[in-house]
Amino acid sequence: MIKNYFKIALRNLWKHKVFSFINITGLSIGITACFFIFMYVGFELSYDKFHSKADRIYRLVTDIKTPTETMNTGITAWPFAPNIKNDFPEVESFVRISGGSFLVRRGDVKFQEEKSAFADSTFFKVFDFKLLKGDPRTALSAPASIVFTETAAKKYFGNANPMGQTVLITGDAIPAIVTGLMKDMPENSQIKADMLISMSSLTQKFNKGLDNQWGNFGATSYLLLKPGTNPKALEAKFPGFIENHNGKERKSSQMFYTFFLEPLKSVYLYSKRGGQDSGSITNVYIFGIVAIFILLIACINFVNLTTARSVERAKEVGIRKVVGAEKSQLASQFIGESVVLCLIAFVLTILFSVLLLPLFNQLAGKTISAGVFSNWYYVLILLVTSVAIGLIAGIYPALVLSSFKPVMVLKGRFSSGNKGNALRKALVISQFSISIALIIGTIIVYTQMNFMQNRDLGFSKDQMLILDTNGDPAADAFKQAISILPGVKSTANSSSVPGGGNSGAYSEIENKKGDLQIANLDLYFVDYDYVNQFKIKMVAGRAFSREFGTDTAQAMLLNEAAVKMFGYSSPQQAVGRRFKQWGREGKIVGVMKDFHFRSLQEVIKPLSMRIELKQLGLISVKVSPQNITGTIAAIENKWKTLIPTRPFNYYFLDEFFDRQYRSEQRFGKLFFNFAVLAILISCLGLLGLASYSTLQRTREIGIRKVLGATVPGIVNMLSKDFLILVIISFFIAAPVSWFFMHKWLQDFAYRINISWWIFVLAGILAVLIALATISYQAIRAAMSNPVKSLRSE
Amino acid sequence: MLSLQHISKYYQVSGLKNFVLNDLSLEIDEGEFISIMGPSGSGKSSLLNIIGMLDEPSEGYQYFVGNAVHQLKEKQRSALYKQYIGFVFQAYHLIDELTVAENIETPLIYQDFKSAERKAMVADMLDRFNIVGKKDLFPAQLSGGQQQLVGIARALIAKPKLLLADEPTGNLNSKQGEEIMELFRKLNKEDGVTIIQVTHSEKNAEYGSRIINLLDGKVESSKQL
Repeated sequence: MIKNYFKIALRNLWKHKVFSFINITGLSIGITACFFIFMYVGFELSYDKFHSKADRIYRLVTDIKTPTETMNTGITAWPFAPNIKNDFPEVESFVRISGGSFLVRRGDVKFQEEKSAFADSTFFKVFDFKLLKGDPRTALSAPASIVFTETAAKKYFGNANPMGQTVLITGDAIPAIVTGLMKDMPENSQIKADMLISMSSLTQKFNKGLDNQWGNFGATSYLLLKPGTNPKALEAKFPGFIENHNGKERKSSQMFYTFFLEPLKSVYLYSKRGGQDSGSITNVYIFGIVAIFILLIACINFVNLTTARSVERAKEVGIRKVVGAEKSQLASQFIGESVVLCLIAFVLTILFSVLLLPLFNQLAGKTISAGVFSNWYYVLILLVTSVAIGLIAGIYPALVLSSFKPVMVLKGRFSSGNKGNALRKALVISQFSISIALIIGTIIVYTQMNFMQNRDLGFSKDQMLILDTNGDPAADAFKQAISILPGVKSTANSSSVPGGGNSGAYSEIENKKGDLQIANLDLYFVDYDYVNQFKIKMVAGRAFSREFGTDTAQAMLLNEAAVKMFGYSSPQQAVGRRFKQWGREGKIVGVMKDFHFRSLQEVIKPLSMRIELKQLGLISVKVSPQNITGTIAAIENKWKTLIPTRPFNYYFLDEFFDRQYRSEQRFGKLFFNFAVLAILISCLGLLGLASYSTLQRTREIGIRKVLGATVPGIVNMLSKDFLILVIISFFIAAPVSWFFMHKWLQDFAYRINISWWIFVLAGILAVLIALATISYQAIRAAMSNPVKSLRSE
Repeated sequence: MLSLQHISKYYQVSGLKNFVLNDLSLEIDEGEFISIMGPSGSGKSSLLNIIGMLDEPSEGYQYFVGNAVHQLKEKQRSALYKQYIGFVFQAYHLIDELTVAENIETPLIYQDFKSAERKAMVADMLDRFNIVGKKDLFPAQLSGGQQQLVGIARALIAKPKLLLADEPTGNLNSKQGEEIMELFRKLNKEDGVTIIQVTHSEKNAEYGSRIINLLDGKVESSKQL
């Protein structure tokens, strides 16, 4: 019996090649898209879960409250974790990690290791990063010990054994011994580094006394709790701990700390406090919903196309019933057929997945999966999904088909047209609602991206080359040397540039009442030329100037946001007020117009600028747009002679700034691609339905033409039905997508308004796409000779 | 063999009963060969469908080989039907996607015959109808007469006691029609299959042992030949 069904199924598929093609392709595309999103979501959810003790590892984070504001940081000062471990027996161990960028040299080989980190010796005990060579307990114990990843070690040692070898780190050429070789850190690790340096190098060598500086933040701390410890109970003991160790200093500095414990497994997706690498649970949800939608659309197609064809299968049902088939036998036949179809779709899905995976990895910006077959359960999941879809999507058509009455279907004409029609229409509407919602979403995402990239940021970032000297003593000489190069328009020195990091400084600023108010201010160290170089506008007072000798030590610029924070109603009022910051005292000489020194997702924060003429790491070079390559080559030449110990690296400021939107751009691209897929699948379904409904109406069209209907009239009649569905879908999709995209936009401090034209555009697009899909069938039917269609009766 | 008592079949059209069969009673014995005649709309096909249990009467009592059909459940009716009845149609109604042999085999599939048994029975039937050479062809590749032969072979393969034929020669030319009628007569005489056929043709009707004339849903006359 099964063999018989199978045969019928395959012959049927073959007989209606176009239909089968549409049905199977739609389904495979749907499953493939869904599968990719599933892998992506799975990957995002898998972050940091590979650590066997992940359940017991918590990130220690700090809220810092000043009289002015509260900052939610993801970091700690160095003494926190070690003292907590000492005081609380429920803490089994701790690790502090502090990222940095280091010059590493071995002979002629030199690299700036951007992804380096200091880490405590317990690193390999708390985490499951695999040490291939060296002793996990002692590799990071002694000062000046280094652990390389395999990839990093290759750069210096090739295939030779790096263990026990010496490299020179930092510009001071401090010798460090390689004490370990670890596997490259997994992609789904929030903690990532190419090179680890023992924390003791920092606390006992580079910066002695760091272990006692309770106000110096910069270490990410992880605590490993003993099994069964309640983190909430531990959190509750922290206020007493801080009071005990550092209460007096807190009171005098007016900065108060509150500690929280974040479970390691939720740091990546849930923490709003940042980290090395952070994801977004909202995006995971959005993609999850999109995946379900795409699968739904594909299943709806399947159901629609199958029931639409029921007229053709009706005769077979009638005959089978007449020769003795029972309803259940027929139902299982049809479900079987749909499973066969889905199995073919499964094979295609595997093919699509293998072909498209590299593209998807590229789109996602990380290796989501090395290969479809790298995990056998992926294939199993796909198989199970396909069969499940076959069963579920097959049930409704099977029930409809198997309940036909043989007398009705065998007695000549049989019109099932109206029976499943309402359902089919409802399904088409839901498909197009989803598609239109995705179109609207895509347009909004892209408009927002566009808005962010084109917004006036309040500073100039074009043709601006940034060179990082990492504080090399020769930097000033180098700056002098390149400023006379023909392609170089101007240069400036600074500790930070917009879009990059900067320090936060404990500051006291005179407020409107005349008191010194404590606050944590973002701080840029700059030279005299910086404000001009970046075309930052002044709204009150003056910029730094060489004419005022005191500017180097006693002058500060604030931005408008800072002025507002200290209670001034106009920038002018702030000029001439006192400041104290990091051991310097002086007057505020000018107020800058707010400029976006961070991404547009963040509100512009209060910023202070001060002059520092020595050892500013970054040199920004404004170059003329002509022959940029030549200019860069000339600059590199000077670098090689003046700073030969360091590798030459540069980047363009505009690209560097836009890098902050990389994850949004990726999100936008992925969203766009899946929206296109959803629309494609919906259109495949629409095409199938349109061709069947036209087929069914062949006779009607013939009669109408005999009675004098024109071709445009008939095309209009055939298209109208579907267009109405698309229009209804639009009215369902518009408010829903408005709601969700409005929510999505809340993540951006500077965002577009969702304006009416977006909806109009999406609506027109949807109608055009639908029209293009239907019209071919409609026109062909309308052009056909009525004699032919009527003769077949 | 079967008995219909006061059978009515009607459709409600805007509150009015539209009678197709109106208080019709009929007795048919085993071994009879009955031709049902009558003008279009007299209820011939409806009567045949009710006898064949493809359709249910609106009112009345129906007995088939000792069973009160009107009291049976769908499943029991289906079982009874499978065991006793074969159906032949004017439009042949073969499954287009199956070959001749597979079409003939279909009823056996639903009666739980083993594969080997089925093969043997189909081979037997192909042989008997002289269509062995056509067994792997699809219906579309056959002439009308050949298709009807396959249809009859399919109706007979499960060895029914009652063969119902709804204008079996309606789509055939006269020569093909005659062959089919000869076949029916032979089946009735030699194999003892009870046959009820609906026909428009006087000539074909005379192959039967009794002609029943229907008019407006009632038996107008019944003539033993």
